[in-house]
Amino acid sequence: MEAQRDMSFLVVDDFSTMRRIVKNVLHEIGYANVTEADDGTTALPLLREGNFDFLITDWNMPGMPGLELLKQVRADARLAKLPVLMLTAEAKREQIVEAAQAGVSGYVIKPFTAATLKEKIDKIVSAQAAAA
Amino acid sequence: MMGEGLQDIDSYADPVAAMSRALSAGDERAFRAALSSFDTVRDGEVLTGIRKVAVDLQSALQRFEIDSRLIGLAQREVPDARRRLAHVLKLTADAAHQTMDLVEQCCPLADQTLREAERLLGSQAVPPAALAADVTVFLRQAATDMTAVRGRLAEVRLAQGYQDLSGQIIRSVMDLVDELERALGELVRLADYGDAVKTAELSTRALQGHTRGMQGPVVPGIDHGDAVSGQQDVDALLSDLGM
Repeated sequence: MEAQRDMSFLVVDDFSTMRRIVKNVLHEIGYANVTEADDGTTALPLLREGNFDFLITDWNMPGMPGLELLKQVRADARLAKLPVLMLTAEAKREQIVEAAQAGVSGYVIKPFTAATLKEKIDKIVSAQAAAA
Repeated sequence: MMGEGLQDIDSYADPVAAMSRALSAGDERAFRAALSSFDTVRDGEVLTGIRKVAVDLQSALQRFEIDSRLIGLAQREVPDARRRLAHVLKLTADAAHQTMDLVEQCCPLADQTLREAERLLGSQAVPPAALAADVTVFLRQAATDMTAVRGRLAEVRLAQGYQDLSGQIIRSVMDLVDELERALGELVRLADYGDAVKTAELSTRALQGHTRGMQGPVVPGIDHGDAVSGQQDVDALLSDLGM
């Protein structure tokens, strides 16, 4: 199933370099509508006010970490079904299991390739379209 | 029970005088009332003593905690921090080399395109029909080479992710240095002033420094335990979990 190229993304990472990289990769694979936030605390109001179709978040951030952001998203009736992709350097098995249990839609570890990111986004979007 | 901070012996003067008067007068009620006042003064003195012992004990325990924490920091976390920083050196060196490798691969492609463009521009004397075949070959080659350059530039951009990964490691080491500084500062204060109450408050703060733990990228040789080795491992694990 072809992904919707006008989807709006929120990219959450405390490192501006990584936000820039992800934003550029998203542009390259056809997603131009990208907003940035530097941790869960700033991301959550944006998610609640905005009309985002996809959340890509880091895990290890000061303020509200990505796992907490994921839990808050899943606990919010309006955001509960938002696709959430964790893009993080956290590579311990127990962390991946924890993220899965909290309802993450996909998990990509850093350093990553553009192809991996695209593949995971496509897979999540397709699964969501099929479920709709 | 005599000592600094204990109630002044004068506090006993009134109840003792009252007891003496009541005893002389044979007034049992007044005597018992005065005895009760005497007990109140005495209880206060005992409580003050107990409080001082408790504060001394708390101070000793917290000094012991700081000492134990410092031993842990010196024996384990400082050497770990050195290895983390060594890993940062490797990450930054690898990223710099990767970037330079990619740039070096791009340069000959750009040079070749430039040389051929200049050659074609210089062959104005050749009839356009004869040049057409050369131009077509050039354009095809330029398209191939520029696609390769474009791909390498995208890789250069991704290689900058080292800043995030090394930044997370540096941040964890900064937390450790911060904690070391506070714990050492506490020891100095203890030695200089011995201000038990102040020390007790500050020690609690000093020991709260390490609550974030060492999060971030897995550093080879330090972060043992059950970590995945790449994206394929992540996918397999998530698949096992039914995702």
